[in-house]
Amino acid sequence: MKVPVVTDGDVTADVVIIGAGVVGAMIADQLVGEGQSVAMLDSGPRIDRGQVVENWRDMPIKSRAGSDYQGLYPQNPYAPAPLYFPPNDYIDLSGPDGQSYAQDYIRAVGGTTWHWAASCWRHLPVDFRMKSAYGVGRDWPISYDDLEPYYCRAEEEMGVSGPHDLALQSPSQRSRPYPSDMVPWGYSDTRFARVVDPHGYNCVPIPQARMVQPWNGRPACCGNNNCMPICPIGAMYNAVHHVQRVEARGALVLADSVAYRIDTGANNRVTAIHWYDSDRRSHKATGRAFVVACNGIETPHLLLMAANKMNPEGIANSSDQVGRNMMDHSGFHCTFLADEPLWFGRGPEQTSCMVGFRDGAFRSEYSANKMILYNITRAIPATEQALKLGLVGQALDDEIRRRVAFGVDISISLEPLPDPNNRLTLSKTRRDTLGLACPDIYYELGPYIHKGYDAACDQLRHIGTLFNATEFAITTKLNANNHLMGGTIMGSDPKDSVVDGNCRAHDHDNLWLPGGGAMPSSSVVNSTLSMAALALKSADDIASILRKS
Amino acid sequence: MAGPRASSGFRRPRFWRRLVPAAALWLLGFSVGVHAAPAYPEETVRRGQYLAVAGDCTGCHTNPRGGAPFAGGYGIVSPLGTIWSSNITPSRAAGIGAYTESQFTQALREGIRADGTHLYPAMPYPAYTGLSDEDVHALFAYFQQAVAPVDTRPPKTRLPFPFNLRVSMVVWNALFLRNTRFEADPSKSAAWNRGAYVVTALEHCGDCHTPRNLLMAEKSGRAFAGGPVKPWYAPNITPDPISGIGGWSHQEIVQYLKTGAVSPKSQAAGGMAEAVSDSLQYLHPEDVDAIVTYLETIPPIRADTDTRAAFDFGGPADFETSVRGVDTGQGSLAGGAALYSGNCASCHQPAGTGTKDQTFPVLFHNTVTGASQADNLISTILHGVDRDADGHRVFMPRFGEESYIQPLTDEQISTISNYVLQTFGNPNVLVSTKDVATARKGH
Repeated sequence: MKVPVVTDGDVTADVVIIGAGVVGAMIADQLVGEGQSVAMLDSGPRIDRGQVVENWRDMPIKSRAGSDYQGLYPQNPYAPAPLYFPPNDYIDLSGPDGQSYAQDYIRAVGGTTWHWAASCWRHLPVDFRMKSAYGVGRDWPISYDDLEPYYCRAEEEMGVSGPHDLALQSPSQRSRPYPSDMVPWGYSDTRFARVVDPHGYNCVPIPQARMVQPWNGRPACCGNNNCMPICPIGAMYNAVHHVQRVEARGALVLADSVAYRIDTGANNRVTAIHWYDSDRRSHKATGRAFVVACNGIETPHLLLMAANKMNPEGIANSSDQVGRNMMDHSGFHCTFLADEPLWFGRGPEQTSCMVGFRDGAFRSEYSANKMILYNITRAIPATEQALKLGLVGQALDDEIRRRVAFGVDISISLEPLPDPNNRLTLSKTRRDTLGLACPDIYYELGPYIHKGYDAACDQLRHIGTLFNATEFAITTKLNANNHLMGGTIMGSDPKDSVVDGNCRAHDHDNLWLPGGGAMPSSSVVNSTLSMAALALKSADDIASILRKS
Repeated sequence: MAGPRASSGFRRPRFWRRLVPAAALWLLGFSVGVHAAPAYPEETVRRGQYLAVAGDCTGCHTNPRGGAPFAGGYGIVSPLGTIWSSNITPSRAAGIGAYTESQFTQALREGIRADGTHLYPAMPYPAYTGLSDEDVHALFAYFQQAVAPVDTRPPKTRLPFPFNLRVSMVVWNALFLRNTRFEADPSKSAAWNRGAYVVTALEHCGDCHTPRNLLMAEKSGRAFAGGPVKPWYAPNITPDPISGIGGWSHQEIVQYLKTGAVSPKSQAAGGMAEAVSDSLQYLHPEDVDAIVTYLETIPPIRADTDTRAAFDFGGPADFETSVRGVDTGQGSLAGGAALYSGNCASCHQPAGTGTKDQTFPVLFHNTVTGASQADNLISTILHGVDRDADGHRVFMPRFGEESYIQPLTDEQISTISNYVLQTFGNPNVLVSTKDVATARKGH
């Protein structure tokens, strides 16, 4: 077992990884398995699940009703993440659609897998060829076939339940089956699919990193319906699983360690990364290979912040693409009361999804969509609505029950295209507690999204008629979905991209930037599985290079 | 047989888990000889298979981490070093394929391998010695004819001096091995006699449930009075209504043996979960009934300090108002109620009632929390529950250091344990952080 060497608080390891989320932890796991010594730094604290569960139970109803998934997580005072109840304005959002980029993410060991729905989608093969197929966006320098084996491995690492039935897979091009069959549909999913599927909406099970039987030390999901903000029983995959696995095998994991400076040397290779500990003392990590896997915001943030003499515009930024092409699935919701009880809100928070318009020739003109049947219990909105009716006593109880049973909430995701103008920059005025520049993000969604929104609204109105919907409503403001992509974009040309097909920085031979930031197209599906697959692909690349040297 | 299960840390924490450095008497493999397996009638082989299940041979001789059936190689980490179970497949090179029936019989009943080496009584030959000639023959037929030979030799067990001196077993056997077959008591019913045979010989229940003396032999006069099987505790199963299972109905005990759970009384974990998963659930109903018939008549044994049955303690809790709205800051949860609420209540419910269908069991009126020893409570929290019976996999995650849910500290576990004992269980039992540290190490 090869372990990092710690001298006076400085660390030397074969591989230095910044960010102990799903991407960093999986890479660490692979490289520890290769016999490399690995040091992993995370800017945030270690999380105590029981504490967060209790924090959630203590949250005021206003925060819960507003889906505050951030406020219950402890933060390192030196590593803020966005807060909204009340807002901490850590990120300044500007541009016509700035408020549509108000992201949730956790800076802590385990990262944002502490609060995710565990959806584990693959991109479609055509999603890798948006430019060639539809004349919009960018092509990836790698194909679906290149990534497919890594998708399989990522699913196996995380313990994903997905449909064995080919007809229910999206996409169905797979070389290996899911580790476990789909999480069975409840009444709501089954009934909804029966009504809408004859009209081409194509309901499929959401592949998800949880199981309905015990798996690899995790208990079976028992349907607490609380995946976000916290799975109270740990049935859902969390990157701390990989963190623990690597620590048990000799990796060094340092929490509350805020990376802020990157040194480069001969041939522009990275020589060290510097961080502040919780006492604000600075240390450095030296190694042979470096991985920055913070997330789609914090990775470009760090690269820009770490600009040095040799890289005055930021690390890995000779293309000027670091922090550009910021993407996230533009979201909106459609709610209504069906003419029959559907009983959403049992089981995990997301179980099925309409993918009928996930692809099609229309993508040359406007955005595809996916429509999740939101399975979060309607108890809070139903109560708020029933109270507004002025009901009391039994009538109030009955109305809440009726609205919970008949209520439908559809969460729609649209696909933004990579646009260099959607950009993260360093604030010239705002500094965090360490004196480091806070991120600013400019965001503007063009006609591709707006036309996609209109098309989806037509589809939703049609779905509403199928259920004789009342109180039918579609939100007009696009919301963030916390799927951070694009900021360190992948491409074959170093002039207009930051990393290559293995997520290795074009500018630095020994620096990898895997994760959502590398993704040149966002598709309409949650990004985590693609991020994990890219992580494993990077890990293979790092391993082969370290073996050679 | 039960399918392979995911690794659950502490497997096989049976009798040999008692073998702490004070007296270590360990299992070692059979060795090699030369002989051909004759053909046996299908009926005999089937009977042998049933007996092998009832004797739970697989418990030690199949590596739960994906090992081939009966190929041994299950590594047991002990304070003395790793003990490897032996290959008992009919491989001539690595297993018992070259054994004659009389050599097999001698190993089973007297703990002597074909090459004359003595086994340690982790192999339950002091119980198997009671097996009838007919049953030993059927077992031999099964192992020689129906088990697939595996030519892999398990690693050799190498214990330090003096535990490596197998010759000492000659003395031990002279003192403690009663090399006699089970004899039916004509004054008792056929069911009682069958039960006595299954309990004392085949299922070797006393291996865990009878306390041991300093030389690790079962204490005479204390049969089935319960004893530590570190880090667990095998409870008193005599019919005493306070210390034993006299307060259980016949049907409850039957159900427990078949499924590992009787709500609210008890749920099998540790070695008992394995015994149910690997062996007891597959017994013929008449054999289970016979076991209970026999157990109901053995001499009841009462511990002087016991005043109430273990399932007769506690009641529902109501702590919500004491923990809600209290600023616990960003640090760790403080106090038993808060720790219980954050880590346990999602499944066992705030009141400790478990869920309606008892998928997650009630914590009061439960022998784990009402026992006079907290071993099973501590070990359940540390090592979890993994039971595969009655068509269901019952799984509680561990909260020890390998936990994917939340690794809890010794102090947190002792705080939770004491809260649970005070609220739901036996308030006279106190758990120290040292108790947890000891159980964490497995002894």
